[in-house]
Amino acid sequence: LTPRTEKMAVDQDWSSVYPTAAVFKPASVPLPIRMGYPVKRGVPPPKEGNLELMKIPNFLHLTPPAIKKHCAALRDFCTEWPSALDSDEKCERHFPIEVETVDYVSAGTSIRNPKARVVTLRVKLSNLNLDEHARKKLVKLVGERYCADTDVLTITTDRCPLRRQNYDYGIHLLTVLYHESWKTEKWESEKSEEDMEEYVWENSRSQRNALDTLLRIKASENLSPGTEEELLASEVVKNYRNSVIALKNEGETERNMSQYKECVKKLLNIQA
Amino acid sequence: MAAGWLWRRLCQGSVFPVSYASRITQKQRFLPNCDLRGARLAGSHADTQEPKTNPLVSVSDEPETLYKRLSLLVKGHDRAVLDSYEYFAVLAAKELGISIEKVHNPPKKIERFTLLKSVHIYKKHRVQYEMRTHYLCLELKYLTSSTAAVYLEYVQRNLPEGVAMEVKKTKIEKIPEHIKEPVWDTLPQEKETEVKS
Repeated sequence: LTPRTEKMAVDQDWSSVYPTAAVFKPASVPLPIRMGYPVKRGVPPPKEGNLELMKIPNFLHLTPPAIKKHCAALRDFCTEWPSALDSDEKCERHFPIEVETVDYVSAGTSIRNPKARVVTLRVKLSNLNLDEHARKKLVKLVGERYCADTDVLTITTDRCPLRRQNYDYGIHLLTVLYHESWKTEKWESEKSEEDMEEYVWENSRSQRNALDTLLRIKASENLSPGTEEELLASEVVKNYRNSVIALKNEGETERNMSQYKECVKKLLNIQA
Repeated sequence: MAAGWLWRRLCQGSVFPVSYASRITQKQRFLPNCDLRGARLAGSHADTQEPKTNPLVSVSDEPETLYKRLSLLVKGHDRAVLDSYEYFAVLAAKELGISIEKVHNPPKKIERFTLLKSVHIYKKHRVQYEMRTHYLCLELKYLTSSTAAVYLEYVQRNLPEGVAMEVKKTKIEKIPEHIKEPVWDTLPQEKETEVKS
């Protein structure tokens, strides 16, 4: 009984020989394949009755012309991506919220995977309608979930059994955070210097010390001691203020330290 | 059945198992304002005085969800199988018009353990087994929900046996209505102590 491979034409339609995923049939595949560990001083075993070839998943049903035929039929069901959103920044501007979900496909006794219910929401705070106080309060409320470098708030929800419930819970959390941060409680007025996120020069020790020093210099030289507002408004004090703020907020860099040095020298009238 | 009709179109007349039947995909509109409707023709360069509408395609009115990124992580025991699968998935994405951002191979992980070789005693003679997991990561950009559904179903139906996949979808959306303005401004200011939800 001659195998089918002898009777196959060279230009036949291969997708009718292997329309779906099927085992490797040596009588239907006209290729001289050898697979397996070779015998001593010999060649790998031929394809007839070759278990190795039958075990491995083959892609004979997915040859390039077959894939093209499938995609041609499937193309009717696809829609185009809107051409107006061709870059990440435009997507960010028009659609600021990103929702990340994971699906798992595997073979096993059950198709369910408990990790599939996790939902992650990411928003940039610059896209939300927040004022200064609301922003600081929101950052304090969420704590670790906010990344200051990229200005992204990440909310990961896992507590509900279904993905839709987790997504709804995530949106609910976002809503609650937003509205709570706009509220001002009575005890927020007791915010002290340790709670401040960034350094504020007004009413700080540095300002008091500087003014104190200037007043004492003026008194010792018997000049007319100007009022505090005049001293504050003078150039040297303003430069000193800026340099101190830069030092505290941005950390100690070469530039900041040299600027501070110059301002202190000008403030205390020391030359070189 | 209509689904069987679809797959019959694919394989040109050969008999098909009905278990391959898929649902009829809903093609949805993106936004009511945008004009993206209409069935797209496969091979539209030929004839057509009037556009052929595929009777299986139905257009619905709800706006489509957009996926900024679709990340497929495929795990398998055999590198050759993953390579073939990569060729298939990349070709399918190109044919369907999906832009591929990156295709790369994260390093493989080998899990090894040591067991006793014999059923009883002989502690000094052991046997070692290992499980190798190779990875393939495909990152696709900018898909609509219909396109994503079509591509994922096609690619997952043809996933070879012994290979697993994780799909990470990043959906982008607008800010919901209730976060646009703080609700405290709109509530009536009769009492100071309002009920806060």
